[in-house]
Amino acid sequence: MDILIQLIANGVLLGGVFALISIGLTLIFGIVRVVNFAHGELLMVGLYATWLLSAKLGIHPYLAAVPLAIAFFFLGALMQRAIIQPLMNADPHIQIFATVGIGTALANGALMIFSADLRSVDVPWARQATDLFGLASVSRGNLVAFAVSGIATTGLILFLRRTHLGRAIRAVAQNRYAAPLMGIDVNRIYAITFGIGAGCVGLAAAVLAPLYPAFPTVGSFFVLTAFVVVVLGGMGSLEGAVIGALIIGLVESLAGYYVAPDLKEVVYFLIFLGILIVRPAGLFGVRGAE
Amino acid sequence: MMRAAAAIAGLFALFAVPFWVIPAYDAEAAGFWQHIFVTIFVFAAMACAWNILGGFAGQLSLGQTIFYGIGGYAAALMNQHFGLIPWIGMFAGAAVSVVVAVLIAWPCLRLRGPFFTLSTIAFLEVIRLLAIHFKDWTGGSAGLPVPMFVGTELRIGWSWMLFREKENYLVIAFGLLVLALIASWLVRRSRLGFSLVAVREREDAARAVGINTTAVKLSAFAISAGLTSLVGSFHGIYLNFIDPETMFSLPTAIQVAMFALIGGLGTVSGPIWGTLLVVPIAEAARGWLGAGANGLHGLVYGVVLVAVVLTMPHGLVGSIGPWLRRRFGAARAVDPTRIAAPVTGDAIARPPIGPVILEAQGLTRRFGGLIATNDVSLTLREGEVLGVIGPNGAGKTTLFNLLSGFLPPSAGTLRVMMPDGSWVTPSAPHAFAAAGVARTFQIVQPFAGLSVLENVMLGAFHQTRSATEARRIAEEVATRCGLGALLLAEARSLTVGGAKRLEVARALAMGPRILLLDEVMAGLNPADVTAAVELVKAVRDSGVAVIAIEHVMAAIMAISDRIIVINSGRMIAEGTPDEIARNPAVIEAYLGEDYVHVAA
Repeated sequence: MDILIQLIANGVLLGGVFALISIGLTLIFGIVRVVNFAHGELLMVGLYATWLLSAKLGIHPYLAAVPLAIAFFFLGALMQRAIIQPLMNADPHIQIFATVGIGTALANGALMIFSADLRSVDVPWARQATDLFGLASVSRGNLVAFAVSGIATTGLILFLRRTHLGRAIRAVAQNRYAAPLMGIDVNRIYAITFGIGAGCVGLAAAVLAPLYPAFPTVGSFFVLTAFVVVVLGGMGSLEGAVIGALIIGLVESLAGYYVAPDLKEVVYFLIFLGILIVRPAGLFGVRGAE
Repeated sequence: MMRAAAAIAGLFALFAVPFWVIPAYDAEAAGFWQHIFVTIFVFAAMACAWNILGGFAGQLSLGQTIFYGIGGYAAALMNQHFGLIPWIGMFAGAAVSVVVAVLIAWPCLRLRGPFFTLSTIAFLEVIRLLAIHFKDWTGGSAGLPVPMFVGTELRIGWSWMLFREKENYLVIAFGLLVLALIASWLVRRSRLGFSLVAVREREDAARAVGINTTAVKLSAFAISAGLTSLVGSFHGIYLNFIDPETMFSLPTAIQVAMFALIGGLGTVSGPIWGTLLVVPIAEAARGWLGAGANGLHGLVYGVVLVAVVLTMPHGLVGSIGPWLRRRFGAARAVDPTRIAAPVTGDAIARPPIGPVILEAQGLTRRFGGLIATNDVSLTLREGEVLGVIGPNGAGKTTLFNLLSGFLPPSAGTLRVMMPDGSWVTPSAPHAFAAAGVARTFQIVQPFAGLSVLENVMLGAFHQTRSATEARRIAEEVATRCGLGALLLAEARSLTVGGAKRLEVARALAMGPRILLLDEVMAGLNPADVTAAVELVKAVRDSGVAVIAIEHVMAAIMAISDRIIVINSGRMIAEGTPDEIARNPAVIEAYLGEDYVHVAA
């Protein structure tokens, strides 16, 4: 019984990590209608940035979180303006190739600059275990990541629901041709949305740096999981991404123990394929989005 | 002829450079260059194979290394366990790959766009992880060496596909490239190739011309997988070592696709040009920056890919080819407004109206709570024109979708008489086409990127497998429909009138016995309407039964033998044009009840 509670605790916390990475991806898809295959590589860049700030300048990763999120907002907006915007009316396969190209270039650029070595940010506090009501033992870093994930997701949902800009963003998602008739600058909304999506990644990178080392292909590890989460929850649905992330976190934690450690990904990829085939709109997605 | 000669000369040069020229020029560096050319040939062959699926059919798979890996493992394992030479293992692997491809493609192909791509990536990941997990078979992450010695037997030479000299590898790799290229060329010229392009351009229209879209996409998937698998078998042996990371690699799958895109998606030679451009650039960059620059290849690939996507999305061949033709004036500009009057020929006596050939009983279609078609029964006789009228939103197009298999009915039955007198109940659009039912779309659905001739040929392929024959039929039908001067115009450049005419021509080229025309006269000017009326009469006189939805009253009254009126999904009247014009229910439906007394 104890082990089950421990596994569930691990799974939920892992789900928090996945949610933090996935909300940016699902937001970009939901609004801009582009699947950002370079999302994982952005996270990789963020992990390296955190490592540089921490190892070279001695800045604590948690202090770097907000500046990094802001920097990534501009990075994302720039990426949208320079590369995605000219392709907004192109075929979907052209958009896929564009983001795949960005991802390939970033991952290999990192390999050239940093080599394939693992670069870890050493924050001993985050690695220490803490007792959770005497039921399970989890690392503090994981708890922080979970909390930040919860705050960021709630904040984003409130932003989209309550603010004028948030409503404009949702209007564009509803109908990109009617929105400009209401005086919304659609292209500006796209750049902002891409920026917010990337900003979430910047935030995630700073919070995850104490837990995961940076290496050039770390992005593809996370992005594939993020795709599973986002498709499970329904492409474009923030709430769906959070629930999808918790499910995948639990699946990974439980399957790693009860099936086999090296098959846990097989289990959730099979879930992924099942969802794609049976209900491609995901658990909370709008039918027809596929 | 010239083009074929140029292609053969180019291929010969591509082989001659590493095989003869470089060794003669610099024997020291020959091994290095030959290795690069083997890599180029292998990747170009895989890019050609990928292009059959990703380019012709437009299905962007990023999981094609599944088959590269299966090929590699099949050859290596059959060698290891049964002592079979790789030439056998290679084809066994290709057979396995084709089976796996069909199993994977069947669910994946239900998805579109990025979702299809994601599902292929997911399958690749699952297979890679399974290959790592089942160590007993695959050697797990540690991989499998390709042994040169088994006991004391030296397994080297042509039968084992293992050599000390690189030249022989060059021969095999080049052979695989030529094989992939020929396969791709044959597919492109065949009915299958046309069907794939049709599916890519517009899936609904492809279904309307009788293409079984699932079957053709599956074929493309299978052909592509088989070829990729052959390449994988060879490359595994060439590398002397296989492991799940290299064989089932996502980065390799991405590279192959990007070479094809850079060269030009859907062109036969594009994948080769893409590989030839990018691999040497990456090698040259490595020369400048030193061999230690890990990741440089990938960086170059990524940057070139983004640059190509932004500046020439049709790739090298797709962008430079048309530019060359414009520059040197091979293709003359076609004026897309030059539609001629339909050639109706000598007035032949109208054949008598024959027996019932289509019969619908109680057709009903619900969308949630909305009943779009409610208990409609109708019959159509041979040689007859049946008009369908009704206010906007009455459910006319839904009725057509039921009559052509685009929507399954919620209730009711539908049957079509075959030429031999038997009755069939088709279920899918391609089955309706096989039963002799062709249709047009109210909102025109041309294969926009193809020429008028190719559009009509896609209809003609329903009658024949031969491209030459299809071209002959298409030219004849297009001319009959007044599109003779526009055969080479791109379909997207046509005017509304031209596009409507093209819809009819494409459907007629299928050689149907029943033709469903969905508002082919809407939006036309009066002269074009007159021409269209003549065309429909000529079609009728050639023995084809027609059901026409139309809002242009004068036209529908002129062509119809019988008219049915639909309102709110129900059939409210049926009769001759005269009867319908006087029917109070019809007047009420169109003009409101106030006008009923006026008419009376």
